[in-house]
Amino acid sequence: MTRDSSISFQTLPNGLHVVHEAMPWLPSASFTFLFPFGAAADPKTYEGSATVLYDWLYRGTQSLDSRAFSDELDRLGLRRGGGSGKEYCTFSGSLLKSSFKDALALYKDMFISPRLSDEEFLSAQNLALQELASLADNPTQQLFETLSLRYFASSHGNSSYGTEEGLLNLSAELLRQSYAQRLSPKGAIFSVAGGLSWDEVSETVNTLFGDWQGPEPALPKVSINKGEQEHILENSMQTQIGVAYESVAPNQEGWYENAVALSVLSGGMGARLFSEVREKRGLVYSVVAVSRSLKDFGYTLAYAGTTPERANETLDVLLAELGKIAQGISQEELERARTGLLSQLVMQGESSGARAASLARDIFLLGKPRNMDDIKADLLALELSKVNDFLAHQKKPEFSILSLGPKRLDEVLV
Amino acid sequence: MSISFQKTVLDNGLTIIGEHNPHAQSFAAGYFVNTGSRDETPELAGVSHFLEHMLFKGSDKRSAEDINREFDELGANNNAYTNEERTVYHATVVAERGEAMLELLTDMMRPVLRQSDFDMEKKVILEEIAMYEDRPNFKVFELGNAQFFDHHPLGNSVLGSNESISALSREQMQAYFDKRYAPNNMVLSLSGNYDWQAMLNLVNELSQSWKAQVTERRFPGFKPSLGEMTRQDEKLKRAHVAFYAPGLSAQDEARYAAFLLSNCIGDSSGSRLYWALLDKGLVDNAYFYHDSNDGLGVYQGYLSAEPERLAEVTRIFIDTLLDVETNGLLAEEWERAQRKLATSLTLRAETPYGRLMSLGPNFLYGNDYQSVDELVEKIFATRLESALELLARKPFSNLFTYTLTP
Repeated sequence: MTRDSSISFQTLPNGLHVVHEAMPWLPSASFTFLFPFGAAADPKTYEGSATVLYDWLYRGTQSLDSRAFSDELDRLGLRRGGGSGKEYCTFSGSLLKSSFKDALALYKDMFISPRLSDEEFLSAQNLALQELASLADNPTQQLFETLSLRYFASSHGNSSYGTEEGLLNLSAELLRQSYAQRLSPKGAIFSVAGGLSWDEVSETVNTLFGDWQGPEPALPKVSINKGEQEHILENSMQTQIGVAYESVAPNQEGWYENAVALSVLSGGMGARLFSEVREKRGLVYSVVAVSRSLKDFGYTLAYAGTTPERANETLDVLLAELGKIAQGISQEELERARTGLLSQLVMQGESSGARAASLARDIFLLGKPRNMDDIKADLLALELSKVNDFLAHQKKPEFSILSLGPKRLDEVLV
Repeated sequence: MSISFQKTVLDNGLTIIGEHNPHAQSFAAGYFVNTGSRDETPELAGVSHFLEHMLFKGSDKRSAEDINREFDELGANNNAYTNEERTVYHATVVAERGEAMLELLTDMMRPVLRQSDFDMEKKVILEEIAMYEDRPNFKVFELGNAQFFDHHPLGNSVLGSNESISALSREQMQAYFDKRYAPNNMVLSLSGNYDWQAMLNLVNELSQSWKAQVTERRFPGFKPSLGEMTRQDEKLKRAHVAFYAPGLSAQDEARYAAFLLSNCIGDSSGSRLYWALLDKGLVDNAYFYHDSNDGLGVYQGYLSAEPERLAEVTRIFIDTLLDVETNGLLAEEWERAQRKLATSLTLRAETPYGRLMSLGPNFLYGNDYQSVDELVEKIFATRLESALELLARKPFSNLFTYTLTP
């Protein structure tokens, strides 16, 4: 076990990572269970199985049916969160700290002895089909799901919504087998932040989860396609534009330099994209670039939404700004980005939910929790010359571009 | 040291409130202006929201670029929003940068509204309108509000229309600003870690030239629409339904019972509608909540489903409401809702930003300060009988539904 300022981190003999951050002034606490299974590991022809399994698990335990189980969580005042993503699922909760032990006992039953009834499987399957169908009226989400599918050559392009065919192919029997392989303490992470002590957390987790055993889940390797430009014709008011390109993987050199570059592009209202695309040209309401991290791969997603007649100009300006970052940033931009990132850290440090989520994510991506002082020190150590050197030597980004709207865009990739 | 509350009214009529938390590392501040789309005339439709954008475009001292850059230099988390009855400008920074942030935020409150900025921002507003046209889950409420509230100004669209925004002039906006942004028509709210006296001195000095005005809000009689309306839109693939019933105002003590009642009916987990519709996958979304506005309130609900099932799921939604109206709720249901709301309130209060967002509106409505502990106590003290009294008025027998469908 390591204990570093307010953070404690331990890996149980069964492989479950347990991490805790003390926020002793809070009457509340938040926790996250992260299991390393997601859409990327959905078997071929069963796309969407992680999502249905995720929902099915919430539908009762051996001793409590779906409704009784849900009522018990609600009786504790627990607020649920989380969801199933590309590489992992999170089950998170926020509560008053006095309810912690009771809540955790319920989660134990949900993971170790879930009900998994046939009837509830059908309900979970139906709900997943409905949610998938709802994308048809949500062009922005549709754009991102499709862009991801085109960008990745590996199964990381899978949407967590699944496919209609994949969802319909599922059966309760198949998903029970999937449960036995996927729900395991090995490689899973339990994080908690808030007004509880490490001793309380550690004792509760050891008692409830210490004897649990399970197989090691496998994570597929990432590969991407060659950059291409495509368009989906859709009768919408705005044209949605999405761009994906590779950036820095977690644990790789240049992680913080990349964070700074992204902040310069899209960190605040003074950032380059907002300023060039919206403020100076009035082309959009929304323009943004965000960093996405998988276990061994990092990429950037950029987005702009504009009316069809201005879509070509918007894409041109967007790509120009994304490309220009290789020419470097100014000292003032570095300072603004640094201040912004440091400030976000402080604000995150006030919210138990934000801390619990962040700790779990760090362990998944980096193998260990990051303490706030270390991040701060790393950010303070960044020098302009090194940041610009890093940006200049980054491989020229190969853009994957997808647009969706009533009119095709001009080809920009040569 | 523990959490403390302060309040003062400056000579110019500006109310300043603060909830000081010595444990906080950050400081959040917001100007809550008592103006929104309900205060607009038809030819000014959308001006409150457009004006909100224009406050970021510069003051005597600062250009738009200065404002954006300075917020970034402060590492601020800042934004603004406009709804039917208020316009809010807020920022959160680490405590040491509190005064610099409040100086910037206060300076913004006296914008110059340059013609060139106005023309450029008009394009952004038109893009925002176009964006929401592609979001039927938003659109159904914009269209539904107009019908449900009939001629009552709470039915006004926040964004306005392409036509009203295109026709709007800088001079009309200036006149609206002069009338609505008087110091006595706003509340400055502070939360987190800050020096009350220093903040007071700062704002007092910066707002010397702000003049109090006679400002009015109209409270015309309200006769809610009943029945159902449907609009077809061939672009859609799903059916979207908005449900309305008359509720309780933001000044009505019974609103707590209405919040809890709506939570039992339409919370995202474990509610009546959850079990009736979402659990089985009959819809992709269904919820119900209570919205308290200035002088009048409304219960609102929403569902989205495949068009073939529209009649069936709408029926189930309405039957769920009527069942509660007729048969009431179980004591266990009520207690679960109390616990869930208490947790939500406590969690939101973890951060100064979260507290700011409930302190400000409460004061605009003329209500007294309540600490989080007092609020939680109030939730637990609200009896199921109070909800039964509300149900005895048969709110759900007077529903209005607005449907958007392909």
